[in-house]
Amino acid sequence: MSPYDLLPRFKAQYDANNQEFSISGVVRPQAIDELGPSIALLRGAIDRVRGVLYVNVRRLTQMNNAAFHAFSRIIIDACRARPDLKFVVITSSVVGWTSRKFGRLSGIEPNITIEEYDSEFYPGQGFLEEGGFVPILRSQTKMTWRHERAILPRHGMRQGIVMADICCGIGDFAVLVQKEFQPARIVALDHSKSSLDYARQVMREFDIRGIEYTYGDASEMLLDEAQFDLVTCRHSLQIFNRPELILKELYRVCKPGGRVYITNEKNSHCLGEPRAESIRWTYNEVAKLFGHFEMDVELGPKSRRYLMEAGFEDIRVETFMVTNLDGDPQDFADIIAAWADVYAGEMATRRGDGPEFVARFRQGFQDHIFAALHPKGYAGWPIWVASGRRPQ
Amino acid sequence: MEPVHHELAGEPTFAPMIQIEMEIKTFVSAWRHCDYVSTYMARMISQNRSDSVRHSNLFSSAFNELLEVAFRSRHGDGELACRVSRHGATDRIELTFPCVPEERQFYEEAMSQATGTEARERYLNSVSGDLAPSREIVLLELAVDYNAILRVEEADGNAIRLVVDLPLEGLRH
Ligand SMILES: C[S@@+](CC[C@H](N)C(=O)[O-])C[C@H]1O[C@@H](n2cnc3c(N)ncnc32)[C@H](O)[C@@H]1O
Repeated sequence: MSPYDLLPRFKAQYDANNQEFSISGVVRPQAIDELGPSIALLRGAIDRVRGVLYVNVRRLTQMNNAAFHAFSRIIIDACRARPDLKFVVITSSVVGWTSRKFGRLSGIEPNITIEEYDSEFYPGQGFLEEGGFVPILRSQTKMTWRHERAILPRHGMRQGIVMADICCGIGDFAVLVQKEFQPARIVALDHSKSSLDYARQVMREFDIRGIEYTYGDASEMLLDEAQFDLVTCRHSLQIFNRPELILKELYRVCKPGGRVYITNEKNSHCLGEPRAESIRWTYNEVAKLFGHFEMDVELGPKSRRYLMEAGFEDIRVETFMVTNLDGDPQDFADIIAAWADVYAGEMATRRGDGPEFVARFRQGFQDHIFAALHPKGYAGWPIWVASGRRPQ
Repeated sequence: MEPVHHELAGEPTFAPMIQIEMEIKTFVSAWRHCDYVSTYMARMISQNRSDSVRHSNLFSSAFNELLEVAFRSRHGDGELACRVSRHGATDRIELTFPCVPEERQFYEEAMSQATGTEARERYLNSVSGDLAPSREIVLLELAVDYNAILRVEEADGNAIRLVVDLPLEGLRH
């Protein structure tokens, strides 16, 4: 037997609390008997549920027609035998064929409906995938790059490696890495179609090669196991309400001996002089505001713990501070202005903040800009960099 | 109705991308070869598609069905050859394998039905039907779910060639 035969290719589970049957992986049997236990599990689930049975196929990467037919038959039969029962099939917009193929079932039995799950991954998604963040990300990457280009080689970046940038946004980082370090291949994944369109357009216009942009969900990626020497994920763990799920995926696609590199913030530690007090107050509030939407922008110093708990070894952590002295102070001021726009704008409004709060909230950003542009002033934004090696 | 465009110079040119060959005996010695071959070739040809990862997933999904169909054919001795070539948004799979005359007839019929207008309805009926999907239905599904265009060609010796054009790059879900 080759090691291939020993790998479980798919997994079926039933979660009685949520009345959810899920099947994931690659399901390509030669004969239906090979599906015996999974089919029994589905039948058992149907016998026990009331109301709705969720059939979760969002992590199903492949399923041949033979298997599709076997599972479909059971569901269709159940609809006919038990008109009180409804089925909700949960597919992913990332796996192209699932919605199409499972979608046919709803045309056959009205009690079967299909839902693409990834319209709502996490509470803050709306803010981050819409256009508003693009200019922020753009100036941020420009500022952080000055530091990271020197830091990255200490975390496994070198010429000729195969790397992935997960949650790549508009792709600026991938482009900079490509130019500076010439990895052999970069796969850059994000779940914002508009950001990817933008990234691809940049790639065409500047005739950049070697970057493959892909639409995907960081918590459930279509990428194969153990294929990258370096997996980067910047400013993104902090936006998920369950960062450990993302880390698990980063670990999975990283080669044994390769490294996962993450950067995160601790917003309450943004600082400036003069007007330190007002600045500090506002950034404390920023952390609370994100917390309200279940995002932890205080994650930076927790990186070490997260990496350890995910099973990494040789963990390295360092910090750097983006400041108004890194090149043009106006760049720094622009980032703050963009933050103020979104945080004291749309986000505060959505939380239902009153005008008095918003005015004071805004003032802190203004004071931060004031510090950045002041001839004797100093303004800073600290970032935590951490990486760990996947054990051999 | 959309006007139908015919290429003036006949067939558009498909640029070869990759080709693999093996003894049909070797191929049918293990079912997982279908999965291996479809996954490997999908990965190789998808790298310069606009979304390589998703293209590879879709391509593998369609190609695997075709290989499973070939696997289940009755064949004599000879070689299985898979070739993928490309014209714009369309990838062409050419699968050549030895087969007995009755099988050839079966493929000709199946392929012509896959292009008919009732293809979709027949496919739907099969999903709600009792029988496990026949090879014919599997081919039909390629047309229905992947907008594939299928045909059969004569090949040298006792071989048959299935030609499947897959416009995956343009497929929107
Ligand atoms: C704060 S931005 C960071 C972007 C980029 N790494 C940077 O530093 O500029 C977070 C990114 O995560 C992406 N994202 C959110 N949820 C995602 C998911 N489930 N899978 C993949 N990307 C996701 C967003 O579209 C956004 O581009």
